[in-house]
Amino acid sequence: MSNLDVLLLDDEPIVGKRLKPALAKVGCEVEVFQNPVEALKRIDEKFFDVVVTDISMAEVDGMQVLEHVVAKNNATKVIMITGFAMMSLAREAMEKGAFDFIAKPFKPDDLRAIIARAAEALGKPIAFEAGESA
Amino acid sequence: MASPLHLKQAKAPNAMIEAAQEKTEDAAGQGAVNTRHERARDFEEARKALLARPGFSVRAQIYLGFALVFLFTLITVIGLLMSIYEVDHKVRFLETVNQYLIEIEQARRFEKNYFLYGTNLKDGLENVSSANRILDSNKEQILSITGENVYNQMLSNLKEYEVLINRLLALGDAWDGSEAHAKEALTDEVREQGQNMISLAAELALKERQALTKTISRARRMHIYFLLALLAIMTVNSFILARRVLDRIEQYKTFAQRIASGDYTLITPKRSYRDEFTELALAVNQMVLDVEAREELLIQSHKLRAVGTLTAGVAHELNNPINNIMITGHMFLEDYESTDDEERMDMMNDVVNEANRAKAIIANLLDFARESGSQLAPLDVAEMLKDTIALASNRLKRSKINIEFSSTDKLPRVHGDSQQLRQVFLNLILNAIDASQSGGNITVTVLPADEPHYIAVKVIDYGTGIPKHILGSIFDPFFTTKSQGKGTGLGLSMSQGIITKHGGQIRVFSQEGHGTTFTVTLPVTTFPAKITEETHMSPLY
Repeated sequence: MSNLDVLLLDDEPIVGKRLKPALAKVGCEVEVFQNPVEALKRIDEKFFDVVVTDISMAEVDGMQVLEHVVAKNNATKVIMITGFAMMSLAREAMEKGAFDFIAKPFKPDDLRAIIARAAEALGKPIAFEAGESA
Repeated sequence: MASPLHLKQAKAPNAMIEAAQEKTEDAAGQGAVNTRHERARDFEEARKALLARPGFSVRAQIYLGFALVFLFTLITVIGLLMSIYEVDHKVRFLETVNQYLIEIEQARRFEKNYFLYGTNLKDGLENVSSANRILDSNKEQILSITGENVYNQMLSNLKEYEVLINRLLALGDAWDGSEAHAKEALTDEVREQGQNMISLAAELALKERQALTKTISRARRMHIYFLLALLAIMTVNSFILARRVLDRIEQYKTFAQRIASGDYTLITPKRSYRDEFTELALAVNQMVLDVEAREELLIQSHKLRAVGTLTAGVAHELNNPINNIMITGHMFLEDYESTDDEERMDMMNDVVNEANRAKAIIANLLDFARESGSQLAPLDVAEMLKDTIALASNRLKRSKINIEFSSTDKLPRVHGDSQQLRQVFLNLILNAIDASQSGGNITVTVLPADEPHYIAVKVIDYGTGIPKHILGSIFDPFFTTKSQGKGTGLGLSMSQGIITKHGGQIRVFSQEGHGTTFTVTLPVTTFPAKITEETHMSPLY
């Protein structure tokens, strides 16, 4: 079981701080960013299996990150974090090639489950069973 | 971190919460009750003052004018009637005197004939008795004009004439001897007596004719003077009446314009008497109170609309701290055993801070949305602007608009209603957001105004600008350029009302394609003295 490379982008510092170890526990190699510009730079440098990005951010928003990732490499699974259930935004994200979306507030296991499904789709399953602890 | 403001909010959540709590405490509704109570008291005072004056109604003035004209006419008519009666009286008298004269003259003609031809003296006696009858039957009339003396003299003259003629008749036809002498002497006496009677009557007639002429010309003059006086009375009365009514109408026109411009000062007595317009003044005062109450409702409902547009943003904003708490809480439970104390402390601190952040967001929104009447307090405009920008921060973030806030240090406070002023600022900021393109900038500045003792708040966007042809209408109620259902068209009109009430002004400067600047000027509070001192010390002043 190889490690899954995950990039986590959210301008809330606590999200990265707490989710990095949470995802690491299920076998993810996580890089955390608060600044979308820096995150995009990193995406250009390195291939990630999964990109988790918040939608509403200043400067560059999640939608632009999605477009950037899709344009660069179709294999990367992008998971969008929406502020609250904005169905139109979510639908738009799915149309643009997002793997899935998750609405704040969410439990770490909710995100783990989605990442696990993404890993499954990539053929790199991780050590997490959906509904394991939820 | 999204924006500098966002950063500030996250860094000092405790300060924000304290501020929010303070606001909640002093907004216990007491201020609102007091203000409403004060207005009711002002209204009652104005009512008493208006009614305390002695009454002199327009109706009374009209009646008085008519009564005066009627009285004057009555006096003149009585005067004229009396003149006519007098003329009539004199004419009748003259007629009587004429008849009398005719009789006497006839008697004298017989007398003359007798002297010349010795005929018909007896016939003369008939005329004398006719003259006597005339005097007798018109006794009262003659007495009223000539008095008793003249009448008696006329009577006695007549009697003596009669006696003399009788004596002459008694002497018979003898024309010689001593009788002839006596007769001659008697003849002279008769002549003299006749002459006297005629001259007395003629004199009377002349005098009365003169008196008649005088009476007639006096009556004529009276006619003319009466007309002139009536004209004068009616002119003066109409003038006073018209001026009184027209002045009042003009005055109420001014009141209407004043009220329309948002000045809700109650009408207080200006004249020393009360009339029909006093009722109008009371009604207008009542209307002003009602309009004020309605406006408050309107402001509140408009505010709730603004809250509605903000709520989505605020919900989104709330999701962040809640998400942080949720993630941290779950990880705390999941990793409790494997976590050291320091890490646990860090996690719980995050939870507490994020909870406070959520509380501050809610408090700010509720503080803005809460219904309350006007509460006046010295306000720090820079703080208010920061709170307002925080309220709109999510809208800004979603529209990807960067807001820059700057303020001059040690600005004096303004005296006003914090909720209403924040509503104005929020309105201007939301308008600026709507006018800006994604990725645009908005500048909010507070600085001393050009006029002394005023501060100016500028909200500047670099958006599309307002076309010249609608620039004049933007403060009109219900004027909007937004699509139906998006804007009420009341924001700027209401903002202007609020700022006018605070003694300030809203001005707009716009260049199509370059953006728009809204400038709100507000008078600074002149107390407490400490703040004023600081103001003077500040190099900016």
